[in-house]
Amino acid sequence: MSHDKFLTTEIRRRTLLASMAAVGASATLGTGKAFAQEPEKPAEIIVRAWGGSWVDSLKAGVSDSFTKMTGIAVRHDLTEDNEIQPKVWAAVAQNRVPPIHINWDTTTNATKSALRGVTEDLSDLPNLKNTTELAKPVGLDGYPIVNTYGYVYVLAYRPSAFPDGPPKSWKDLLDPKLKGRIALYNDGIGFHFPAQVAGGGKLEDIPGNMQPAWDFIAKVKEQQPLLGEDPDFTTWFQKGEIDAACTISTNAREARKNGIELAWVVPEEGAKFDTDGLWIPKGLPENELYWAKQYINHALTKEAQQVWLDGLGLPGVVPGLTPPADLVGDPSYPTTEEDFKHLIRISSKIQVENESQWFSKFKEIMQG
Amino acid sequence: MRRSRAAYPWTWRVMDGLESLAARLWPARFEKGLPYLMLAPAVLLVGILVLGLVQIGDSSLRVLDTSTFLMSEDLTLANYQRALTESFFATVAGRSLLGSVIVTIVTLIFAFPYAYLMVRTPSSALRKFLLVALFLPFFIGQVVRAYGWLIILGNQGMVNEALGLVGVPPMRLLYNYPAVLFGLVQYMLPFAVLMLAPALTAIPAELESAASSLGANWLRTFRHVVLPLARPGLVGAGLVVVTLSLTDFAIPAILGGGSQDFIANAIYDQFFRTSDQGMGATLSLMLVAVGSLLVGLVFMLFGAGTLAMTGGRK
Repeated sequence: MSHDKFLTTEIRRRTLLASMAAVGASATLGTGKAFAQEPEKPAEIIVRAWGGSWVDSLKAGVSDSFTKMTGIAVRHDLTEDNEIQPKVWAAVAQNRVPPIHINWDTTTNATKSALRGVTEDLSDLPNLKNTTELAKPVGLDGYPIVNTYGYVYVLAYRPSAFPDGPPKSWKDLLDPKLKGRIALYNDGIGFHFPAQVAGGGKLEDIPGNMQPAWDFIAKVKEQQPLLGEDPDFTTWFQKGEIDAACTISTNAREARKNGIELAWVVPEEGAKFDTDGLWIPKGLPENELYWAKQYINHALTKEAQQVWLDGLGLPGVVPGLTPPADLVGDPSYPTTEEDFKHLIRISSKIQVENESQWFSKFKEIMQG
Repeated sequence: MRRSRAAYPWTWRVMDGLESLAARLWPARFEKGLPYLMLAPAVLLVGILVLGLVQIGDSSLRVLDTSTFLMSEDLTLANYQRALTESFFATVAGRSLLGSVIVTIVTLIFAFPYAYLMVRTPSSALRKFLLVALFLPFFIGQVVRAYGWLIILGNQGMVNEALGLVGVPPMRLLYNYPAVLFGLVQYMLPFAVLMLAPALTAIPAELESAASSLGANWLRTFRHVVLPLARPGLVGAGLVVVTLSLTDFAIPAILGGGSQDFIANAIYDQFFRTSDQGMGATLSLMLVAVGSLLVGLVFMLFGAGTLAMTGGRK
């Protein structure tokens, strides 16, 4: 899948725009005039977030500076993204005020909410004009979600378990010496698409024919993988339970920061590239909606993105960000067209429409 | 002459007042309705649960439209058809049922001697120790206990370290079916002991002495006296353990390594991962149905045990 559209030409154009006389200056929160007609400030806004280094990065990059500029406290709600979703949906359906102001969510999950019609339109955020095409959710009208960065499901591995050099292919997970020593996400997320390629199939056949993916996953099942979620991978690497895993590069990087011997690659079949984003549920009072939008607008400033995404080690949606020193040239931090050639991106709409079916199939194989 | 305060204390007057008020609110002619009034909270509670079940039943008849992520307007049995035909659900249901039966049998085998010793020991210190050991786990949640087993049984855990001392290489003790069953047995043991202890207490020790004086050895006494008389306790404990095991979520999730799901895990996935409330509701109702059938079967075969309300008003 080509990424020219959302990286190269667009970035150049956007970069040019961004450099043209600080177009967004009046919209940036730092300028006092921006809120000349500002509505009443709430005491706090609630942002749902993932815990650990994820929320630490958000706090350092976006929330603290937002509070400093507006005086509005930011409370981070660490309810799981999957669990906040039905609460928000129920609140909107019952015309209640939703339990959060902003949901930091996977784009796939957020797309479900957008399709259900519970998201506010964010097309009027001034700072959107400074962003790359990556900020725009694929397959949806307008901006019910604003993507804020991308990430890659890499093959993370323990170098000492690969004395002959880093793994080159997802098929390396089938090595008998790795039996019981590998891990995947428990819903298979991140693995379906590279498995399609590793199983001899084509990405163009998704979702019509994913048999190659299922065949390859069935082979991986014979390796008795552990199935877990983000925190599990770090624990399992730390406790010596696994030697390799398909996980988001941020988790692998965080584990390495914590002293765990770990490296990662994008195998030759490619790795799934996806995005996370921010969205606002419907049903907020007008003034709170305004300030929630300002929070997201602030998250799209170069300054906020730089600090936030330095912490996560992920590429943002604002041109000109400086990669963290340890990720310069790293395939998990794609910045060039060449980098994206090795990554697989499937639209969120296709993913959400088929998620239930893929999930059942993955579970059927893994629980069998 | 001053009246003695003790002759009719003010507290009595208050009680009189309250009684008078109660008599006005609930006259004597309503006396027959009193038991029904006392039943009202329970009926209300059960009524709310039934309403919830009706709601879940309605959801189970609607399928998810993945273009809008709303439930369908039309009613259909498609979710039930899916639940009965997809092999994943059969696998998970079979694992849950088999697991709950195994856990119940093993738990009762361990719980019985524990409860017996706790009830019969002449040593007060031992009885206290057994009681403390029984109640201690109740202060630690199920999730924390499961994580405790991760520490103890992990590749770098205490057990593997001990095995390493005698030259045994680390082995995978976690993230498999036996680990889940082990965790469940450990979790269920206190419940079973608590259900068994009253039944064993109700067996007069003299009966065992009598059997012994008539020449029965310990095994025969146990088989022909203790075990039959303890049956109500065994049935009650078995029912509690089998239903709790069948519906457990945390232990399979934590000790199963993601590949040993029980039905509750599958229900969670449908509600929270795929956002398919219809399928989640279907699996929930089927779990309630299977659990109820299982309990009904036990009632038919063995009676209700200590859960039964025997005898009428004499």
